[in-house]
Amino acid sequence: MAQITFFRYIHKDTILHRMDPRLKLLCLLLLSLSASLAAEPCHYFVPLFIVAIALFAARLPILALLRDMWFFALLIIIVLVSNAFNVPGDPIPEQIFGTKIISWIKLPDTLRYPEFILQSVSVQGVVAGLRFAGRLILILMVCTVMTGTTSLLAFKNTIEWFLRPIPFIPEVRVATIINLVFVLIPVIFDTYTEMMNAQKSRCVGLRKNPFKRVSFIAFPLLSRTLRRADEIVYAMESRCYSETRTRAEFRTNKIDWLVFSVCLAILLFVIFISE
Amino acid sequence: MAFLEAKNLTHIFPDGTVGIEDISLQIKEGEFVIIAGANGSGKTVFIRHLNGLLRPTKGKVFINGESITKNITAARKKIGLIFQDSDAQIVGQTVAEDVAFGPENLNLPNAEVSQIVKESLETVGLFDAFTQNPHSLSGGQKRKLAIAGVLAMKPEIIMFDEPFTALDYSGIKQVLTQLVELHRAGHTIILVTHELEKVLAHADRLVIIHNGKLAEDGKPGDVIFRAEKYGLRMPLKEGEEISSATWLR
Amino acid sequence: MPNNTIFNLRFTVYCALFIALIIIGGYISIPIPVGPVPITLADFFVMVAGLFLGWKYGLVSVTLYILLGALGMPVFSSGTAGLAILFGPTGGYLFGYLLLVTAVGFVSGKLRPSFFSYLVALIIGNILLYLAGVSWLKFLLNMSWASAAAIGFFPFVIGIVIKIAVAAALGCALLPRFRQAMVSASAQQSNTGDE
Repeated sequence: MAQITFFRYIHKDTILHRMDPRLKLLCLLLLSLSASLAAEPCHYFVPLFIVAIALFAARLPILALLRDMWFFALLIIIVLVSNAFNVPGDPIPEQIFGTKIISWIKLPDTLRYPEFILQSVSVQGVVAGLRFAGRLILILMVCTVMTGTTSLLAFKNTIEWFLRPIPFIPEVRVATIINLVFVLIPVIFDTYTEMMNAQKSRCVGLRKNPFKRVSFIAFPLLSRTLRRADEIVYAMESRCYSETRTRAEFRTNKIDWLVFSVCLAILLFVIFISE
Repeated sequence: MAFLEAKNLTHIFPDGTVGIEDISLQIKEGEFVIIAGANGSGKTVFIRHLNGLLRPTKGKVFINGESITKNITAARKKIGLIFQDSDAQIVGQTVAEDVAFGPENLNLPNAEVSQIVKESLETVGLFDAFTQNPHSLSGGQKRKLAIAGVLAMKPEIIMFDEPFTALDYSGIKQVLTQLVELHRAGHTIILVTHELEKVLAHADRLVIIHNGKLAEDGKPGDVIFRAEKYGLRMPLKEGEEISSATWLR
Repeated sequence: MPNNTIFNLRFTVYCALFIALIIIGGYISIPIPVGPVPITLADFFVMVAGLFLGWKYGLVSVTLYILLGALGMPVFSSGTAGLAILFGPTGGYLFGYLLLVTAVGFVSGKLRPSFFSYLVALIIGNILLYLAGVSWLKFLLNMSWASAAAIGFFPFVIGIVIKIAVAAALGCALLPRFRQAMVSASAQQSNTGDE
């Protein structure tokens, strides 16, 4: 069952699921580009708002997805804190919009760190941190929509299609590799789980030597995986593997182009419009 | 007329071990041949020569009188092989895509590919699993998927390498039914197994390979009484007919 | 049928297997008795890919691995993905993987195969990996070198030592057989050429 938790594609029938994966991938690139070019607050809020709509339109289980994001939360906090302290610049003014910041944070007198901390924090640092966090969140949401609505098969076909015009890249071979990776991950993962269970039942947990622990996983996992290669080669050959293959078909409709133009508009907005 | 012919096949591995030695065999169109032998006797090595996966050190394989090395793709299209390890031969992310792998290799147009996929899956009764991930299928279903993948190539000969391994009772029955139906539909069947009691009743011919050499070749009724000599389990009890050696009942 | 098809197919399959191993390696974490950071095996399998596939196919594998992640597949350590990670604070390590696999493959290919030469290749590769990772961290988070190394290098030292030692041992144990299989597969091919 590894593939279910592994790849987050969730089969539904929505506009985004039906969308031509080639255009969807372009949208991903456009939005990522806008995120990295964004400079002002509105550059973040507009795309964030639209991607949030997409997230709802795709009817993905948002709460379950959020739970997987703890790593990003951690990352964002590290970035915020580190930037706030390390970027040189002006200290935080004592008053913002006429209110004392310190009076917002009500702490007992014994814990009066904030004033000291605020003095070593710079405005530029906080802004830089927030920018980075906004970028991260935006790209993260875009990727979530992309992987949640695109099957691995469509994904592979799209990559192949985009590689076609690039010289010296054997796009069929690349697509074959990507396809095999997706097929092999659950198989190898099951091998690994089985192996670990067998070792656990023989009390591998009592072994404290980390060299041994790593070896016990690495040796059998690698030798089993390599042995599999021969069988796969034979299986593919006996079904006449050839790199001149039937090409996948794509279908594009008007809604797809509409979504694409929205993404293009966002990028243009970020590039040309500033306050 | 000899339809598929192996002539003096010998395979010696690079480390010097002899895989098979001087095996000659002729198979007629529409035959159901069982190739039996103990583990490590060389039966898998032998059938992997028949569709050119392995090249013989000596000897040749002919199909309809022509050496298979002349047009290896055509030969492989005619001779389908179903492997022992179903997981290793799954190359698609969905059932349909896996079946499509073969016809796509032949560069057939998309419409034809999807038609063939549909037909093959219907033949083996897996049509309902069309969009499923092959990894989530049961053992018997995985084997059926492998059969569908081979059927999509429209083969004349279908070879099965130990198709009953790691299957439960119902899985074995499913595969066996499929086998018998394919034979009835006119395919030539070559079945490699050591579990004779499950299938012998359906075969026209029994070939035994022992230590890389062709040891016996003949009607199941004659050969079977010498099977124990080659490390195979005698499938019949005292006084039983050969027709009782099947799990289809 | 062109002669080198099977040879290419074999490498195609090996690339896929190693990418799968690198991805799964990111999900495997082994606690070590000292230090706060558990060992994950993604970079370990990148090293092994360098040893086994050589720099060229190793580089192909790692490039595709990064491409998959960049396009949003959850392939990077602990199931994270996307350009966000690639250009985030830890992105330097991912680009470092490219250096790691190239260096390991290149150096071990130039030297006579032995435990010692694998060790040399792996150490050079890891130096490059952590140079890339730590300097990326330093510039992105505007830290000093010392504090960047403190969070981006020192916690991993024990893990690095273990991984290098095991990878070198793995190379000694399995590489000769692997090479032989490759040679016999290509010899198998040249047989066909005669006909």
